[in-house]
Amino acid sequence: MVQDKKLHIEAFSQEAFSVLADARHLKQADTLFSEHQLKAFYAKMFAARLLNERWLKLQRMGKSSFVAEFRGHEGIQIAAALALRSGLDWLAPYYRDTGMVYAFGMTAEEIFGQFMGSSLDPNKARQMPCHPSVKRLNIFTPISAIAAHLPPAVGIAMSLRYKKQAGVVLASFGDGATSEGDWHAALNLAGVQKVPIIFLCQNNRYAISVPLHKQTASSSIAIKAQSYGINGYHVDGMDILASYLLMQQAIEEAEAGQPVLIEAVVDRFGSHSSADDDLRYRTKEEKGWWLERDPLLRLKNYLKRRNYWNETWEGQLKEQLETELSKTLKNIEAAPPVPKAWLFEDVFADLSPHLREQAQELGLKL
Amino acid sequence: MSTMTQNVIDSPKSQSLIAAITQALDEEMTRDEHVIILGEDVGNRGGVFLATDGLYAKYGETRVIDTPLNEAAILGAALGMAVNGLRPVAEIQFADYIFPGIDQLFSQAAKMRYRSGGQFYAPMVVRMPAGGGVKGGHHHSQSPESHFVHTAGLKVLYPSTPYDAKGLLKSAIRDDDPVIFMEPKRLYRAVKNSLPLEDYTVPIGKAISRQQGDDVVIISYGGSMQESLKAGEALKAQQISTEVIDLRSLMPWDKETVLSAVARVGRVVLVSEAPKSLNFMSEVSASICEDILDSLEAPPLRVTGFDTPYPYALESSYMPSVNRILQAVQKVLDY
Repeated sequence: MVQDKKLHIEAFSQEAFSVLADARHLKQADTLFSEHQLKAFYAKMFAARLLNERWLKLQRMGKSSFVAEFRGHEGIQIAAALALRSGLDWLAPYYRDTGMVYAFGMTAEEIFGQFMGSSLDPNKARQMPCHPSVKRLNIFTPISAIAAHLPPAVGIAMSLRYKKQAGVVLASFGDGATSEGDWHAALNLAGVQKVPIIFLCQNNRYAISVPLHKQTASSSIAIKAQSYGINGYHVDGMDILASYLLMQQAIEEAEAGQPVLIEAVVDRFGSHSSADDDLRYRTKEEKGWWLERDPLLRLKNYLKRRNYWNETWEGQLKEQLETELSKTLKNIEAAPPVPKAWLFEDVFADLSPHLREQAQELGLKL
Repeated sequence: MSTMTQNVIDSPKSQSLIAAITQALDEEMTRDEHVIILGEDVGNRGGVFLATDGLYAKYGETRVIDTPLNEAAILGAALGMAVNGLRPVAEIQFADYIFPGIDQLFSQAAKMRYRSGGQFYAPMVVRMPAGGGVKGGHHHSQSPESHFVHTAGLKVLYPSTPYDAKGLLKSAIRDDDPVIFMEPKRLYRAVKNSLPLEDYTVPIGKAISRQQGDDVVIISYGGSMQESLKAGEALKAQQISTEVIDLRSLMPWDKETVLSAVARVGRVVLVSEAPKSLNFMSEVSASICEDILDSLEAPPLRVTGFDTPYPYALESSYMPSVNRILQAVQKVLDY
């Protein structure tokens, strides 16, 4: 089953594809990933975790109104970002994907600028926190409405094909999204149109508090792909190596005109958001079981086994990131306030007469 | 890409509103290869009203796309194409069927430019046959324009003549923002114009005076323009000098033209077949009262559909009739 150099991952497998928890694949991983690559995986996950932790602090300090943590999702998020090709592929993330957009190239300033509603946000501080995007990297602006980014993601994929542009679209969402009409609309259209798109479900089994068995009676999310005539894959999303290999295969398939659905099993270490308390519906025991499967911890153990990890290296990573973050936060604090004109601009390409008139109520001459 | 001259369709003297729409689509698709059409039955069938008749044969299935029966898919896909540089024209088969896809329009497309800080924008058009008068019952007759106007980020057009339909649709396709293009379905084949052979556009946001007068102003748009013009004719026969204004564009709307006519005449009747509460004409009325109250000789009166679901058998009682318009005119004259 495991061939030399290249692993072929079967669609619709009963068990989630895994490398770090599968002795057969693990042996092959030793030849598939270079030291440089493995350390880059770890460094990005580590940085994303740090970013998430800084968010929590800032939110508690009142510097931001909201946090949607992604701790526990780093394996699949960083794998996806690093497998995708910057400048070629598109990302249509959801609000828990900040680890992904960071690893895909968004700067800390762009991310924290958005997080803190600053004038340094490329989106002009118009959305609530945890909706970062930047056109430079083909990152489609996230939307709070669940699954509403999926039909447009298919449209982007249709436009890539129409314009004969290379690249794929990765559209990412949680398990709750699979119940939305827009989810069906998107997968159905993609199946018919056979466009280059990967649908990535980060299944953490909770839509805020509603558990997966109240979301769907389906035996898995991956299997739903069958009804759309596309391939469905099931992967351990807390295993970055498995996630990366599957992403590589999915990109190849999508680019050949076969849309793909990936179900990546992860855990949400935090609550749904800073406005939620997950101990109202989860037990400490359950959470503890998942914490032992921390994607960082698992890769660290693998790196240790191959002698690629040591405390000094991680310490240097941390120091470097802390320095960079402090500088970024200083820049954001020093940035000019959000201009009042931004309230009225960008409703349309040009300011229409009625908005010009309304702006006068605030004493603005636009 | 083909040149304009290859594309011009010989215009016989009189063209229907639906033919004007087909011509606009055809000419824009020839002019710009980024223009594509998507919707239900728009392909081989040519659309249920034949708006896209012949375009599938001419441009093929990559540019005239029959989609699954799902409005969220149509509108969402159109948005995605638009943000990557295409100029999709989506057809919603009836305005009444916009609702299953409304999140794509209201939460996504309308806010795209604003949400992304101007990084992404959506040059897309959503065409839809709207309004009553075809014995279509609740779900083939409604006038949902107020919903669209109430959602920041959408432009809303509602022509009443073939000339305007063609010129405004071209403007809509060339516009860089999402445009809702409402088509008065009962006038598809009921009104005819001769159309210029050369390329032309009608500007978005400009009303037009269809009849000039000094005693009373009737303002309307879309399907109700027919009854408004007939009322204008009837009043003229009674020596009542009537100005009849066609708004054509509801967002943005031409406040300047409206206020200047109403300020000059002092009496106004506002006609729209949509339900009365929060009818677009309520906005026009409020603007008139806020800005030029002193020049009014009578309160502005609305003649509209009623706050009921759209009826079937009693459709003609629901729609603003010439008689109801004349009664309202009498009231503002007698005030």
